Amino acid sequence: MGGSSAKRKKEKKKDFQKPKLKVGKAKPKAANFTDTSFKAKSIVLTQQSLSANAPSVVAQCSHHLSMLAHKSDSQRRDSLAYLTTAITNTPAGAPLPQPTSIILPAVQRLILDGSNAVRQQLLKLLQSLPKNDIASYSDQLLLHTRAGMTHIATEIRTFALDVLEWLLGVAGDEVVSGVGGWVKMLKCFIGLLGWQNETSGKWSAPKSFGKSGGDAKIMVKQMNALAAFLRAGLVPSQTEEPIDVGGTTFPLWQCEHHMVSERSNTFVHLNLFGAPRDEEAEMYEDREDRQRVFHDKAEAAIVAGLDQVTKGGGELGRAAAQLRKVVREGMSDFRSD
Amino acid sequence: MGKRKVGALEKVDADLSNLQYKVRRDPASYRDDFQNQYSQYESFRELFMQNPSITEDIGMVSFRDLIDFVAHVADCYPDITARFPEDLMQILSHHHEEVEMELRDKMVGSLVLLRNKDIIDSSTLLNTLFPILVSTPSKSLRALLFTKILSDLRSSNSKATNHKLNRTIQTVLYNLLTSDRESQKGIWAVKITRELWKRQIWADAKAVEIMKEASLAENEKVITGGVRFFLGGDKEREEAADESSDDDENIDMSKLRHQANINKKTKKKEKELRKAAATVKRKEKKKNAPHPLNFSALHLLHDPQGFAETLFSRHVQNAKSKLSLDSKLLVLQLVSRLVGLHKLTVISLYSYFLKYLTPRQASVTSFLACLAQSTHSLVPPDVLEPLIQKIANEFVSEAAAAEVAAAGLNSIREICVRQPLAMNDTLLQDLVMYRKSKDKGVMMAAKGLLSLYREVGAELLKKRDRGKDATIGLRSGEIKERRFGEEEAGEIEGIELLEKWKEEERRKKREEEGLPPDAPTDEEEDEAEDWKNWDIESDDTDSSGGWINVESDGEDINISDSEDERERPAKKAKLASETPGPEAGEKENRSKSKEPEAKKISKLATTRILTPADLAKLQELRLASSVVSSMPSNKRRQALAARHADDPLTAAEIEAPGLLGKKTTKEEKIAMAKKEKEEHHQSTTAKKKEKKAGEGKSTTNKEKARKKNFLMTLGKAKGKQKRSLVDVRKTLRGHIDRQKRGGKRGNRG
Repeated sequence: MGGSSAKRKKEKKKDFQKPKLKVGKAKPKAANFTDTSFKAKSIVLTQQSLSANAPSVVAQCSHHLSMLAHKSDSQRRDSLAYLTTAITNTPAGAPLPQPTSIILPAVQRLILDGSNAVRQQLLKLLQSLPKNDIASYSDQLLLHTRAGMTHIATEIRTFALDVLEWLLGVAGDEVVSGVGGWVKMLKCFIGLLGWQNETSGKWSAPKSFGKSGGDAKIMVKQMNALAAFLRAGLVPSQTEEPIDVGGTTFPLWQCEHHMVSERSNTFVHLNLFGAPRDEEAEMYEDREDRQRVFHDKAEAAIVAGLDQVTKGGGELGRAAAQLRKVVREGMSDFRSD
Repeated sequence: MGKRKVGALEKVDADLSNLQYKVRRDPASYRDDFQNQYSQYESFRELFMQNPSITEDIGMVSFRDLIDFVAHVADCYPDITARFPEDLMQILSHHHEEVEMELRDKMVGSLVLLRNKDIIDSSTLLNTLFPILVSTPSKSLRALLFTKILSDLRSSNSKATNHKLNRTIQTVLYNLLTSDRESQKGIWAVKITRELWKRQIWADAKAVEIMKEASLAENEKVITGGVRFFLGGDKEREEAADESSDDDENIDMSKLRHQANINKKTKKKEKELRKAAATVKRKEKKKNAPHPLNFSALHLLHDPQGFAETLFSRHVQNAKSKLSLDSKLLVLQLVSRLVGLHKLTVISLYSYFLKYLTPRQASVTSFLACLAQSTHSLVPPDVLEPLIQKIANEFVSEAAAAEVAAAGLNSIREICVRQPLAMNDTLLQDLVMYRKSKDKGVMMAAKGLLSLYREVGAELLKKRDRGKDATIGLRSGEIKERRFGEEEAGEIEGIELLEKWKEEERRKKREEEGLPPDAPTDEEEDEAEDWKNWDIESDDTDSSGGWINVESDGEDINISDSEDERERPAKKAKLASETPGPEAGEKENRSKSKEPEAKKISKLATTRILTPADLAKLQELRLASSVVSSMPSNKRRQALAARHADDPLTAAEIEAPGLLGKKTTKEEKIAMAKKEKEEHHQSTTAKKKEKKAGEGKSTTNKEKARKKNFLMTLGKAKGKQKRSLVDVRKTLRGHIDRQKRGGKRGNRG
């Protein structure tokens, strides 16, 4: 390494020699020069949106609908919030930025979302939707709600009850008479309340798995929901539509029965294309049918459960009394053959 | 499906695995919770059924986890989950194409889990999985299903052969092949059958029947699959069997016991030792077990004649068949193999070859090998004659390349080994002249032909080519030309030697006992002796050899009784000497007769059961008469005999003499030289050390001291210099003391 020999010195010098510049010639390239030129057949410049005006509400809504599957909680919540304001801001009579048939299927699976904020926002969105549109989608919504009611997480279970209450308020008739709406829901409620006949024998009921805090509150809520559900299914609605006797359409009688139905999928009860249904999945469209099934399947269990709960008194007892009242009211005119 | 990150709070609640653990512990208490989860599963299922191709993760607990959970605890609540397997099967069979991949795999896994828990039976599972395997377009699903189906078949056959299941599956596979001969689906039947054949789970005629149908299919892949099975399936099976017996071959029990004595005793080590002992025991048992009868697929065929004829006419001869040359050759190989092995008669096969016997034909050596393979002693010579003539004309000439001529000569020889009558004298004499060729390959091939005909048809050769043995044999009439269809009478080679030896032994024994050596003994006694020396190793009557003594009569037991043995022969001998029986007289005649011994058919094998000891002696005697066996012609015969009759004749064997004269290039030489010297250099000490380590022996103290970290030795080394006088004296004393005692522990042991 000494560099003492003449040869080495010469070599070293060579590295630092200045190239001679000449007139009319290009400047010599440095030793460490890298050629960065390249050849391409075509050059594509990627651009952001070229449009000068802001995207329409419709486009924004569809964007936010696609964002509902985003992995971040807050993003999902914000998208829901945007959709909610977009819906509420549309003037009455004007069509929604996106039709309900698109919004609902995208939104409904968020009933099972893990984040509380998202779920609360979802409820707001649902409540903002026009009530008349919901009826046709009650089947799907009910499925998701039932999945929520049996969810392993308690919060989702309670939230699903909120959704159910809303749904009953909006489309009570469709819910109780829908596919599997009556029997499956009853079974689901009995399961939730722990009132099964088979297991509650002499042994004390084991505590439910999962979070047990605020057990009584949840139970009150569940019983209230059940009461609302039974009321929708069993109690005849008070506000009977006045029968149009005089008839504006004079020569025709009962023409509303002969008109094309306003609802979609009118013949669903015939089950023309689906798999054969069993007793649980069957539709129970009249009140009498529902009463009969309720009597066969659930009444005994519910009455027995109510007896137990009423003994406890307090808030639970009050809720139980309410429920009992509904059951009595609903079954008052039922005669078992 | 991107997995969403689950927060800590959510985890506590939505923990299905926790619930699963609790359910398994106490199913009765968690029944309600399970019921809830099951209804959750049901609502998810309904959601799913409305749109099976749904891909996004729904909520915290996805459908997949629920299925997994239910499958794991299904055996705890058979009443609730009664419909669960059916649901899964239905979803899989109707929607397997659209279901998201992970969910699909989970469903398959869950079904297999349910099978393992005995909730559903094997045939249900396989009847579900197999149609999907056949119809699915997804490669990964096919791979998964294939392994699952195989493993289920294996596990249900592991304890005992499950004949019922095997039969149903075999029928399913058979029907798959026969229902649609043109579809490619049949390849799965081939794959499954081949795998199970390899593992010796299916080794019956029905499996072979499936493969037969496969080779008669219309789809090229299926055909080649079936044909390849017949050509290589048995070899594969043998190799698999060898492999399984080879793995972890040598467990040294004594070494393990010794180690267990010395090392720290833990439960784990104890368990390992027990396991090793069990393995050794199992292996020992396996070694003593009789060899399983596994017939080769070619022998299990029903109606090989019909099979060969249809194969040939459908795939090879048929002008409409669209097989590529390679697959056609495979089929041809199978046909010729069948013809050669079973001595079938497919006359049109030979004329078919005529077209392909030119040196320019692609892979002509394979055709030559097929031709030779399909020749046997019952093929009419006039059918073969034009073929041989054509080979000679096309391949064997001065103008042809050396390799070509060698291959031609060799293939002619291979044909003539199997049917010597196919040759005429002029052609043979012509071909034999090539032994003067300059090329080594051609020369060796011609010599092979010559020496063959010296044995099987010397009169076709010129007189000076016949050689000494053949000339003498011809003159004495010992060698006769074998006529068409003539078969050699079967015999046990060297049986007369054994008989002679036995006679001598008997004489010797009698001389020792002081009896007239020629007097006949009774047969019973001899036999008793033989039975006693049944096995080669067993020198006492202990039944440790694995042979079971079957006691038939009281009399027999008396004979083998050692107390009686001394007196009985003497008494009998007296009787015999007075009235020599007809049997004995015949025997005497035989030993004294001057007729050549070979002419007489030995009765030994027909009157006695040859014990293993006898057979061993026979082999020894055969070797001892080595005058014959050392002759080159005999060696060749031995080599030929060593080749199993089932082994195929390959194109490589036809080409072999052509390679003899070939010169290797420089690169090849270098590569060959390098291959030998692959092992790296190692000093002798290193080798010794490695050997010791390999044997599991420890190092010496010296070695340990040398290896010790020098920082650890520093203190001691330093202290040694600065010891007090008392310390020095102590150590010295100690040293003397130890020497007297003989080491630290002394000689007391």
